[in-house]
Amino acid sequence: MQPGNTAAGETLHPMPSASPRRRSPSPLAAIRADRDAGDRSGLARLLILFLAAVTLFAFGASVMTGAADASVGNLLRWLTGTETTDAALSLRDRIIILDIRLPRAVLGLLVGAALAVSGAVMQGLFRNPLADPGLVGVSAGAGLGAVVTIVLGTSVFSGLFTLVGIYALPVAAFFGALITTFLLYRIATRGGQTSVATMLLAGVALAALAGAVTGVLIFLADDKQLRDLTFWGLGSLAGASWTKIAAAAPIILASLAVVPFLARGLNALTLGEAAAFHMGVPVQRLKTVAVVTVAASTGAAVAVSGGIGFVGIVVPHVLRLLIGPDNRYLLPASALLGGTLLIAADMVARTVVPPAELPIGIITAFAGAPFFLWILLRGRAQMGL
Amino acid sequence: MIEALDVTVRMGSKTVLHNVSLTAQAGEMTAIVGPNGSGKTTTLKAIAGELACDGRVLIGGDDIGSLQPWQLATRRAVLPQASVIAFPFTVREIVRMGLTVGASSSRGTAARAGHGSADRIAEEALEAVDLGGFAGRLYQELSGGEQQRVQLARALSQIWEPVRDGCPAFLLLDEPVSSLDIRHQLTVMRLAADYCRRGGGVVAVMHDLNLTAMFADHVVMMKEGRVVAAGAPRAVMTDEMMETVFGCAMRVSAVPPSGMPFVLPQTTMS
Repeated sequence: MQPGNTAAGETLHPMPSASPRRRSPSPLAAIRADRDAGDRSGLARLLILFLAAVTLFAFGASVMTGAADASVGNLLRWLTGTETTDAALSLRDRIIILDIRLPRAVLGLLVGAALAVSGAVMQGLFRNPLADPGLVGVSAGAGLGAVVTIVLGTSVFSGLFTLVGIYALPVAAFFGALITTFLLYRIATRGGQTSVATMLLAGVALAALAGAVTGVLIFLADDKQLRDLTFWGLGSLAGASWTKIAAAAPIILASLAVVPFLARGLNALTLGEAAAFHMGVPVQRLKTVAVVTVAASTGAAVAVSGGIGFVGIVVPHVLRLLIGPDNRYLLPASALLGGTLLIAADMVARTVVPPAELPIGIITAFAGAPFFLWILLRGRAQMGL
Repeated sequence: MIEALDVTVRMGSKTVLHNVSLTAQAGEMTAIVGPNGSGKTTTLKAIAGELACDGRVLIGGDDIGSLQPWQLATRRAVLPQASVIAFPFTVREIVRMGLTVGASSSRGTAARAGHGSADRIAEEALEAVDLGGFAGRLYQELSGGEQQRVQLARALSQIWEPVRDGCPAFLLLDEPVSSLDIRHQLTVMRLAADYCRRGGGVVAVMHDLNLTAMFADHVVMMKEGRVVAAGAPRAVMTDEMMETVFGCAMRVSAVPPSGMPFVLPQTTMS
């Protein structure tokens, strides 16, 4: 194709368009030049590598720090058999590290990744940076599913409960989240266009409704169930255990495995449903898979950690500022940063007032709520609010 | 060739297209003209395959209903009227979407032409719409006319080769020049004409009758959801048609040597 379809005697724009395959003195300079030419993929890959390193570091730090003075060095020495004295590793240390801190870090990583990726996928699906499972009632729906299981599980569905075992809570939360997401999409989207105001207001209404039903169930609950509910609803990683991980990890990992296949479609969806279809995206299927993925990962996260808010809105937004909105990079980066953020928030939660613990939801809300207001004020005009 | 056969579209209880039939040949620019609300855009959407309709639409002999979205995307690209996007993509990222999303054709094209050709196509497409050097800009910060041209570059890169494996591709343009200055109106119309000259096809919804007369090979005139006339510009752009279709009594004149019709609002008879 000749580029010269311009009017006779007319010169092309004088600015030379930068070639992405130029030879550059250093890789960093090349990445910067590509970014200036509108190609942020190199930058994004670099950030993902960096985030992976940060995630590893946070994970290690989380296992090493805590209210109790349990040494990881000793644990490693004990594991490698270089030192076998009792002083090297007491049983207490082993339990603290392997059965308390390690599952907690693993769960934090899983839940953080699940929440951040759900947020990013939902924002792509609704074409709006304010969509977040916590804000628009999806987490409330998941919570309702969990509460139904705790209160009615042992009586009404006892047979089912024993059948699905540890998966009862995550699966119930998944269905709660699925129903809410589906309703929300049906209410807020008309003719391929999503109304932000309708989405947020419908989310408020759905969350209120889920809250009301939850309230009725709590009213009906007996003492033992009330205790289960309280522990569940604290919104923390405090109850992390290998059993909880076994229940949530398969669902969260399966969702995360599906997400890369949504990236291109979600990118196209930014231009609208019709444009995405024009570009060859099977839009209906994309939306279905996205809704199920969001519901599954939110459901699993809520089932094991209660409601932890704002991760899904803060993480993708920060990353968009850094590497742009391309979901091929945004989604994996969100998983890493979400995991890191939750591990870090959990470390703060359990070390600021030792030996007591703050619920982690308080930390994420302190960081996230002002951030949310900031996005809202900054983007008010362009989001049509 | 794109053929619409007896296409009827209902929206709610209202029928917005009544048995519309039209043919758009490869190698020709087909313009759809008519007053506001006459069903031009709906016709284009039906041809693009995004609307449920009665009747049949064939592209290269295949019923569009039988093709998967990604197959359709290799045979036609669509420029919508206006596109608002929610996230801050750069111009290059938007244009490259046309190359990377769904359409296996572009992937095939890129593979055939070697590594890095996607970037080259994106760049050439931007230059073709006179936006060379805009690749690094954020889409949301561009003017309406510039955004429209970015979208055209995106559509163009989706079906970069006008003819692929002997099968012509079609650009479906909904008011491609509506928010452009006069120079870029000509740039875009020449680009479309060039695409036809190289074997592709163009179907454009047009409001500017003079540009239509200048560039279109085939004009479809619509009114109230029906096709009123179809043919060469000279055949359908007549005094009587202006009055029948637009309800606007005006004189159609001709540019002397070629006889190309043109209209002047000043000739309106009140």
